[in-house]
Amino acid sequence: MSIYSVYICMTTTDFIAKVIVMKPEQKGSLHPITQIVRAIYPVFQELGFAIADGPELEDEFHNFDALNVPKDHPARDMQDTFWIKSNADPRSEIQNPKQIQNLNSNSDNADIKKSERMVLRTHTSSVQIRYMENNKPPIRIVVPGKVYRNEATDATHEAQFYQLEALYVDKNVTLAHLKGVLGALFQGVFGDDVNIRFRPSFFPFVEPGVEVDMQWKGRWLEMGGAGLVHPNVFRSVGIDPNEYQGFAFGFGLDRIAMLKFGIDDVRHLYTGDLRLVNQFRQGDTSSEK
Amino acid sequence: MKISHNWLQKYFTKPIPSPERLDELFTFHAFEVEGVEKVNDENGQVIDTVLDLKVLPDRAHHDLCHRGIAGEVFSMTEMAYAEIAPVDVTVSTEGKPSITIEADNFCRRYVGRYVEIEKIGDATPEIQDALNAIGQRSINAIVDATNYVMFDIGQPLHAFDADKVKGSIVVRQARKGEKIVLLESSASRPQGENGQETLPQAGAREIELSISDHVIADDEGPLAIAGVKGGKRAAITADTRRLILESANFEPTTVRRTSTKYDLRSESSKRYENEITPELAMSGMTELSALILREIPTAKFGPIVDVYPKKAVQTVIEIDPRYISKRLGIEVPLEMAKGILENMGITIIVNGRYPIHDKSVEDNSSVWQLTIPFSRLDLTIPDDIVEEVGRIYGYENVKGVSLARPVEGVAILPSYYLSEKMKNVLIAQGYSEVSLYSLVAHGEVETAKPLARDKAFARANLTDGMITCVQKNVLNADLIGLEAVKVFEIGRVFDNTGEYLKLCLGAAQVKKVKGVNGKKLLGDVVGILGTALGVDDSVFSTPESLVEKGSVSVMEIDLNEILKSYKLPKDATYGDLGFGPTSPNIYQKLSPYPFIVRDVAVFVPASTSADHVWNVILDGMKGVDVSGGMNAADLLARHSLFDTFEKDGKVSYAFRMVFQSMERTLTDDEVNKIMTAIYAALKGPGWEVR
Repeated sequence: MSIYSVYICMTTTDFIAKVIVMKPEQKGSLHPITQIVRAIYPVFQELGFAIADGPELEDEFHNFDALNVPKDHPARDMQDTFWIKSNADPRSEIQNPKQIQNLNSNSDNADIKKSERMVLRTHTSSVQIRYMENNKPPIRIVVPGKVYRNEATDATHEAQFYQLEALYVDKNVTLAHLKGVLGALFQGVFGDDVNIRFRPSFFPFVEPGVEVDMQWKGRWLEMGGAGLVHPNVFRSVGIDPNEYQGFAFGFGLDRIAMLKFGIDDVRHLYTGDLRLVNQFRQGDTSSEK
Repeated sequence: MKISHNWLQKYFTKPIPSPERLDELFTFHAFEVEGVEKVNDENGQVIDTVLDLKVLPDRAHHDLCHRGIAGEVFSMTEMAYAEIAPVDVTVSTEGKPSITIEADNFCRRYVGRYVEIEKIGDATPEIQDALNAIGQRSINAIVDATNYVMFDIGQPLHAFDADKVKGSIVVRQARKGEKIVLLESSASRPQGENGQETLPQAGAREIELSISDHVIADDEGPLAIAGVKGGKRAAITADTRRLILESANFEPTTVRRTSTKYDLRSESSKRYENEITPELAMSGMTELSALILREIPTAKFGPIVDVYPKKAVQTVIEIDPRYISKRLGIEVPLEMAKGILENMGITIIVNGRYPIHDKSVEDNSSVWQLTIPFSRLDLTIPDDIVEEVGRIYGYENVKGVSLARPVEGVAILPSYYLSEKMKNVLIAQGYSEVSLYSLVAHGEVETAKPLARDKAFARANLTDGMITCVQKNVLNADLIGLEAVKVFEIGRVFDNTGEYLKLCLGAAQVKKVKGVNGKKLLGDVVGILGTALGVDDSVFSTPESLVEKGSVSVMEIDLNEILKSYKLPKDATYGDLGFGPTSPNIYQKLSPYPFIVRDVAVFVPASTSADHVWNVILDGMKGVDVSGGMNAADLLARHSLFDTFEKDGKVSYAFRMVFQSMERTLTDDEVNKIMTAIYAALKGPGWEVR
């Protein structure tokens, strides 16, 4: 059976049914990434995780320093970063408020300026910091959002993509909690027969750090990074690591969408092509009309 | 990091696990294996296997060498180590190089000695094979020895031609404007500091240094950029008869800045920038000397000079052993944990002192005092110990447990709730959601190193992308089956004043309908949005929010403006938004070839259904063969009934058909042939084709 006949099988019933009854206003389709977030979030909502967000244009402190990624350290090479260009006059460009303060107080310290450089955030982990700066534990949040990596694009790499971050902070948090939540999450999206496993890895903001694999349809697939929140991350936001622990994880939503929908090239997600988006119209589940 | 199986075997008495088994062990207990490659000799015989390990920065202090990896194998298998022969060489010549460290924040240790040799030949086959296996080119016996020892124990090494060094060796900050001509790299991949051609080449690179760099210098000037790259002036050549060997330790961030600045990343700089212990420098010197003696038995060695201003201190970590199980969420038997740590060379003293890192552990518990080997710079806090025990014991032993359910519901993020609510309203109105590129050709916020010139800026609006998006979709409207293209995006934009979340709507009417155009469509949907959200339409329709280009109309609205007049329902929960499973559809590939549209209209008796007519059309098509063993129906990408009217007891059905191939561009002739067959089929029952 060719791809066409599959397509026809899929659409003829749909079409004849809909078109012949004479055009009920056709529904639009949610973007595949939105659909994935909406499939995942109910699992988190059950567990009391709130949705949080933060800026995509982020300062170096929140994207790196506070996440225990030291300056001039090889760990920074793990993510290719889009730095925002600095003009000669620092007042004329994007700055975060701290930097403006420094300038206003006539501080001419080159180091301070440097530490306030801006980036397009390389991960949603920066929102962990922003949330913890403003909220006290216990904390349960998920952060869906766009992130940027300065790397050559191909069928599996895009300079912009979506991540879903989760942060849990409480007393007596263990890796077993992490594994439990991840299991529930992937079962929620891919079905009850998925398994997950950990492999040792390194992300500066967690210790221990693990890579998470999911077994789906017999194959092990690399899904994302996770671990227990590093004490230095807690210190950077004024939470006492002797009292609280936490876990965090971050996954590429594009990869999940590609697996779930069988999309063969990540770049298709950002072309605005309705030939793709409209293939994923959902049933009339929405209560809004 | 490439690891040779043969090389690794030298560390053990019994055969080590096969490369495939090691791959599995490393993957689940240490780090990713990026590749396993066989190494062949000239006759195609497999003589070795190389594992390419992804050593991340936490393990790079000690695992960027075969000895470090042997330690990992020992931890995972507890196989007996082979005895390592003593490596001292006899001092048989007078004279010590004069070495001074001026920059002692930068250079933590400098070990040097003279060596006299009669000539420099090629390295022995054993050394050449070992280096070739891991992708390094063999150069000569001395350079190969420095490289071999670096890949063996992780200490970068350098050899100078002693007769070309004028006066004393000094490690110091570079002077502004000071210049150095570098050795040229010969291999395709970066080598150690000595990686150079045997013969000097034209066009050696000259670098002008700055005061943020550090050099190894003599009385005349720089001999090498410390830790990064050797200079040409005192490079060893075929004529070299006296060497100064260097085994030193440099501060990581300075090496990193300098090597990055001049684009001189080398195997040496990589090890220094990940930081290695200065304790290793003496092993580097003794191992290198022993290897040179093996390679060149007539070599004569001078006394070792060791400048080591501030001795490294061993890290001591205190940990309540129960903390390990408390973090892993599994009971690791204490004896097991102890064994794992001792296998890493950690010495453990159980002294019953009060635990300092976890208040939740009872006061009367014991505490382990762990003395960490110098090389393990990654182990500094109890959580590092948790990881070491966890990974060797095996994360597969961690069983997932659920979190306690919270009592309260989750707080609502208004901007998110509003966005998702608007998405629901919009898709119900036939608007599809897109996510477009944030990196564009023009804007105010510019990236420092753009991927491409047309992606240098973070977008300042959603409108520009939306116009193009709607235009492109209009061209495909028949294929997609749209009478109007209706699209929206919710996304961030960036300008000199900051970052904003925007809603952008785009519309174009494709099928001609009197009084309907993109602007009318947007006006309608904005009205519906306003009603659904309980906000005034005027929030959406400001004069500057609407842009029209040809048949395309686009409207862009700041979400904050909507939020100002939007009242979040008092009892709002995310449950209101109807979140749930994704579409079950699997992606059908898009054809890169153009499509052809044909309409057919037919008068039939009023009792005949459109379904029936369509089946007659399909049957007619199926009789037409097209290339590739398909029939014409396989080329039908989409069809729709676009018009129906009754007249004089008859009904007219008009169908639109879209033909497209996945493999090629269809010709008009082909499609005309299909249409002829369709006309014939429709005339069969005596129907009238209009």
